[in-house]
Amino acid sequence: MAALLDPPLLRRLEGLALQVRRAVSGQMGGERRSTARGRSVEFADFRSYSPGDDFRLIDWNAYARLDRFMLRLFVAEQELPLSIFVDLSGSMDWGRPNKAETAKRLAGAIAYVALAALDRVRLTVFAAGPTSGGAPYRGRRAVAELFSRLESFPVGGTTDYARLVWPVGKQRPGMTVLISDGLGESSIDPAIAALGRARQEGAVLQLLAPQEMAPDWTGDVRLRDSETGAEREFTSTPVTQASYLAALAQRTHDIERSAHRRGLRFVRLSTDQPIDDMVLRTLRRLGLLS
Amino acid sequence: MNFLAPAAAFLALTLPAIVALYFLRIRRPTRVVPALNLWPDQIRDRQANVPWQRLRFSWLLLLQLLAAAVLVAAAVQPVLSAGTSLARHSVVLLDVSASMQARDVQPSRLDEAKREIGGLIDQMGPQDRMTLVAVGSAPRIIASVVGDRDALHRAVSGIGAGNGPADLSAALALAAGLVRPGDDGQAYFFSDGIVGPIRTDSNSSLPFPVEYHRVGVSAENIGLTSLVVRTGAQSRAAYLHLQNFGQQARSFSLDWSADSKLVDVRQLTLAGGQAQDLVLPVPADATVVSAHIDAGDVFALDDTVTAVARTPSAFRVLLVTPGNVFLQQAISLRSDIQLDVVAPSAYKSSVPYAMSIFDRYSPPTLPNGPFIAIDPPAGSPLAGGPAIGIGRVRATDAGDPLLTNVDLSDVHIARSQDLRSDTFGRSLITSLQTPLVLVRDEPFRQALFGFDLHESDLPLRIAFPILVQNLSEWILPPSVPSHSFHPDEPVTIVPDTGATSVTVVRPDGSRRSLAGGAVATFGDTDLTGLYTVEQVVSGKTDRSWFTVNLFSDQISQLKPADRLTLPPFNNAAAVHAVHRGQLEIWPWIALAALGIVVLEWLAFHRGL
Repeated sequence: MAALLDPPLLRRLEGLALQVRRAVSGQMGGERRSTARGRSVEFADFRSYSPGDDFRLIDWNAYARLDRFMLRLFVAEQELPLSIFVDLSGSMDWGRPNKAETAKRLAGAIAYVALAALDRVRLTVFAAGPTSGGAPYRGRRAVAELFSRLESFPVGGTTDYARLVWPVGKQRPGMTVLISDGLGESSIDPAIAALGRARQEGAVLQLLAPQEMAPDWTGDVRLRDSETGAEREFTSTPVTQASYLAALAQRTHDIERSAHRRGLRFVRLSTDQPIDDMVLRTLRRLGLLS
Repeated sequence: MNFLAPAAAFLALTLPAIVALYFLRIRRPTRVVPALNLWPDQIRDRQANVPWQRLRFSWLLLLQLLAAAVLVAAAVQPVLSAGTSLARHSVVLLDVSASMQARDVQPSRLDEAKREIGGLIDQMGPQDRMTLVAVGSAPRIIASVVGDRDALHRAVSGIGAGNGPADLSAALALAAGLVRPGDDGQAYFFSDGIVGPIRTDSNSSLPFPVEYHRVGVSAENIGLTSLVVRTGAQSRAAYLHLQNFGQQARSFSLDWSADSKLVDVRQLTLAGGQAQDLVLPVPADATVVSAHIDAGDVFALDDTVTAVARTPSAFRVLLVTPGNVFLQQAISLRSDIQLDVVAPSAYKSSVPYAMSIFDRYSPPTLPNGPFIAIDPPAGSPLAGGPAIGIGRVRATDAGDPLLTNVDLSDVHIARSQDLRSDTFGRSLITSLQTPLVLVRDEPFRQALFGFDLHESDLPLRIAFPILVQNLSEWILPPSVPSHSFHPDEPVTIVPDTGATSVTVVRPDGSRRSLAGGAVATFGDTDLTGLYTVEQVVSGKTDRSWFTVNLFSDQISQLKPADRLTLPPFNNAAAVHAVHRGQLEIWPWIALAALGIVVLEWLAFHRGL
């Protein structure tokens, strides 16, 4: 566990919690307000008594005033289902610091925040296709297993965002965090659209290396795609550098617009940003954590 | 259109070389990127090290080919026909006289002329040759039949103006010797036209036409044209003549100095064309006086004049004669001669004299020095043969300087000693019967008259005092003449007896050593100002002075001459085939190439 995240960081993460905008709909009790009515200290509504209802919920004061049996309903507190999708395609195995390594650490940090708050965490990594990270994790005891599983995933392959549509769409309403560089031959828009349809709230975190946000090389080279292995001769000049940066900015803008259209948060992160700074500062500012 | 350097066309091989370079491929290092589709499809070959590849269109290739082509076009040096004419052999005569220093055209007349000559040089074709002659007091060949234009430009830029006059006749004679008969020659004279008189010789004509290029526009100048110090009975005074040669009135100040100490300052105003004479005081102990005006005109050389104020030392001359008032009077005309007249019986050879004159007397021992012997008596080693009757008297050489202004046409001599077989020296004045006057330079300057002056009407003619004056000044020139000389005029310096070294200190402080003990001609008088002659006699340094001043109304007038009368051009002597001048355009083509290179550089950095 310590290999993925430092203990001091973990201790600071314990003070955080995932911030949801609407009530959740979990399967098990938890610490989150639920759309279901249940037992908690938070009053939700009244309704008329029907035979079979728990008479311990009858509001006797209301009966005295209205001469009718009224039941007091309370907000049920349930767990938050959090899904974390981590891009581990070939394009993520690039940069200094490495994007895939940073993505794993970032996913681990978010998962730790959720597990510490008794939320349920489902982990999925994807490249050419999705790979489940196993049964949902819940509770602090699952942290070590999740981290171990997270570290065990290999990195490589092409990115096919279209194949994320099915696993995303089958989720119950909850929170989803998608960590990816957004690069690759296919567009990420279908996957984000699926998140919207699945009534997921959460965030799309685009993770890029500083070397691809500001290329530090020029000259005549043979470019090789990290995913497909395709090659092309290329001459890097200030003009071509500007053209590349414009294409990258356009790609980022498309992802951000797609996310916002589905009510999702978006932020672009650089791998040279310390992981604690990403979580404690950027994601809190984003409203993903509180 | 012609090409001055057609051989440079081989540089066109650079064009296929550039194309060939684009056929070469680059050995490119592989670089892995996360997403290839984000990078634009841009290839540009900046270096090549692996053959071969398919030639692709490139703006850089196009610009490089264009730049190379334009550079090759500039290298072959294309020329267009110009409007002027230029001969195969151009003789350029550049006036470097004092008046060319005038700054009525900026920066000066000489620089303007040099600029025009530069244009002429630029028009030269590959087969053309040019000879440069500087026309000063003595003509000087700067470049002789040169085709290298760079060398000609360098030669022209190194020419400076002198302070002397321009002797165009000598320059034309020199130039005529440089052009072979039959050459296609043409002379160009760049001058303000202020030149010495052209010596006309009916037998000579120039083998080329001369084209006069006038420089200079203005004649506005105030000049000091004379400064003389006169010693009177009581005091000394300087007489200064100054003149406004221009058309406009000018006010200026005159500084009058003695031995570099300011004596007087006067404010003067001269109307256009007005001249003025000033009498200025000379301190009793002054050695040198000078006048300077601050007129702010275009010519500075005549704004300062200098004169020697100290009276030169007198020569002691002995006249041994039984009585000859004519001779005594003629000798005494020279102010720097102290004459002692003695009878033959009172003659003593022990007393040293600068010059001795023996009239009808011959001493037992001739003095070892300059003398004039007149009708030496029989028995004397100088005596000639028996007297013979003399008819017509004439000069042996009419151009002899000793007979300058001596008119012998109405001189009659009754009889004279026969000097035909005399070996005394060369004949100066002669007759049909016998030479009458002999002169010699070695071992000392001496003269021998074969006739008694009383048996001639020569003493009654104006020619006599002039002849005596010429002879005395030839035999006994002033040790250092104290009067003013013109620039580049030679000065004869006779060292004092016993002088071990003679040195002349010029106005700029430079020193010139002369051979001690011999009469020397000092020619480095190109600078105006005071020259000091230092002679070391018995370990003691004696100083004397002479001055060099412009003192030329013709030069100070500064008015450029519109026309010059030049010797005729002998058409038969040369086949004059004038060809068109050429205008070089390669600098403009090279400039265009530079622009294309800059464009290519910009395109390269903009990634085109």
